[in-house]
Amino acid sequence: MILETQQLTYQYKSGKTLYFPDIQLHPDEKTLVVGPSGSGKSTFLNLLSGVLPIQKGSITLNAHSYATQTRQQLDKLRADHIGIIFQSLNLIPYLSGFENAALSLQFSKERRTHVSDIDTSIKHLAEGLGLKSEILAKQPKAMSIGQQQRIAVIRAMLGKPALILADEPTSALDPIATEQFMKELTRSIDPAKQAVIVVSHNPALFPLFDRVVQIGESA
Amino acid sequence: MISLALASMRARPFPIILVILALTSSMALLLAVDRIKVATQNGFNQSLSGVDLVLGPRSSGIELMLYTVFHLGKPTNNITTETFNDIAQDPRIKWAVPIALGDSHRGYRVISTTDEYFERIKFAGDQSLQFREGSAFKELNDVVIGSAVADALGYTIGTSMFVTHGSGSLGELHDDFAFQVSGVLAPTGTPTDQAIFVSLEGYELVHLGWTNGSQAISLKSIDIQKIPKERLYPQTITAAYLGLTSKLGLFQVARSINEYSEEAVSAIIPGVALTELWSIVGSVDSVFKLLNWLIIGISIIAMMTMTMTALESRTREMTILRALGATPLHLSSMILAEIVLISSFSVLVAIGLVRVLTWISVDLLSEWAGIRIELIWITTNELAILGLIVFAGLIASLIPAAMVYKRSLHRGFSN
Repeated sequence: MILETQQLTYQYKSGKTLYFPDIQLHPDEKTLVVGPSGSGKSTFLNLLSGVLPIQKGSITLNAHSYATQTRQQLDKLRADHIGIIFQSLNLIPYLSGFENAALSLQFSKERRTHVSDIDTSIKHLAEGLGLKSEILAKQPKAMSIGQQQRIAVIRAMLGKPALILADEPTSALDPIATEQFMKELTRSIDPAKQAVIVVSHNPALFPLFDRVVQIGESA
Repeated sequence: MISLALASMRARPFPIILVILALTSSMALLLAVDRIKVATQNGFNQSLSGVDLVLGPRSSGIELMLYTVFHLGKPTNNITTETFNDIAQDPRIKWAVPIALGDSHRGYRVISTTDEYFERIKFAGDQSLQFREGSAFKELNDVVIGSAVADALGYTIGTSMFVTHGSGSLGELHDDFAFQVSGVLAPTGTPTDQAIFVSLEGYELVHLGWTNGSQAISLKSIDIQKIPKERLYPQTITAAYLGLTSKLGLFQVARSINEYSEEAVSAIIPGVALTELWSIVGSVDSVFKLLNWLIIGISIIAMMTMTMTALESRTREMTILRALGATPLHLSSMILAEIVLISSFSVLVAIGLVRVLTWISVDLLSEWAGIRIELIWITTNELAILGLIVFAGLIASLIPAAMVYKRSLHRGFSN
């Protein structure tokens, strides 16, 4: 199993408490997390990525329980086992597409061991996502939103982290581009080692996922 | 992280260049002021060498140094030649060179002395005075000029000149006797370059027929050849440079001169008086230094402000790096690396800039102000000062670095 959450809850300083459904994620599984605005989708992703401390419940990623990890270990766990894609502004503006993609290996020795040749791996992933290699040399400002999102996917996939977390990755794309992007994303994962969680409120994406998890709130 | 910090800095060239400019110019200013101070102090201390004591009328040591070495101010009194000869005969005194001051030529002091002056008086340690052209006095009308005088007035061997009575421009011209340049001294970087030397006899000659500061009889009405030699030997002198047979007796000789009962005279040790004089002149340097350090402090604050201001616009960059597994410490280190890179680069540019400026101005400063700056890259003392500045920058950068650490610790990815 790649990921397991149990009875995860989070209370804000205001007193508002979020309850998250239990998730069990195996390799090759694709889960869509849906919920209205303010339901706690981003908080859920922050908890899964180890940035927010767990207050109650548990998260286990690749047999590592978050409860037993220090902040530094959680940062390392994220670097080694999680690839994150944001909804927009995914790239560092002063780096080229290639440098942005390769950045994921900067903080993870483990992911570096899975990449024998960075140049070849990035070009291979770019090809799979329908991205021409010359785009890699460009800076983000010279790319379309779709191209930027694909670079973010390459960065998240490079070194084959176990869990891919994507926060509204298609919110800036039109319906045709959205469907194509999601197909390319799910096709890029290694079915033996990787699983995907995508947060979105787009119902058109439902058929592309194995499971849809609804996040709501209760006080 | 350093390559990332470099790339981030390349993306913000304008504020980075401004901060580098501020730091570089303030550090270069500090180095330049320090070098000029060191060169001035060295020049100051090396103005007079080879002289163990300066004999003069009883006055303060500083006053005596000012008019005998730096050709500044007016002698308050003279000493009689009789006293000078009496003191010079002391067996502990190896040599004595008298000088008489009072006249000038186009703003330059005229020093009347013996030709032994050019042999005994040294500068910059033990360097002897050298003649760029010609030689010392042979005739009554011979005059030796300093290199700066020759360059400024365009005088060369054979040039005729009159001297003016007194040190100001309003003095009466001794136009009844023309001196002729017999020698031009090589540059020394000391007040000697700005001086004009005539023989004691020549000096005495132009003052024959003068009473109470004005001319009563012109030399034109006298046959100079018929003037007896002893008549040209001065009755009084302004001061004298003394060399001792043994340095061990320095304080004893000085004391015995100061206790000389026949006339109110004093003897000063040039090194002691120069140090005393520098402690007064050198205090200006402290003010410059204080201003410099203030400028550097402001530059460091500017660097810190720039870093803190840029943090807001770099929130997304920090979030992406955190998502990739960068720890808060990584991000803080990136900020520190930026500051170290900026300040270290500024140090290198400042060193280069000062080197270039020194190279450009070394001759100019030597000719214009008699300051001889060494053409060097950096001294260990300067390196320590610059290291201190980098360290201060690093300490100041702990504030933005701590801000980044705190923010990245608590901020989620959705922000």
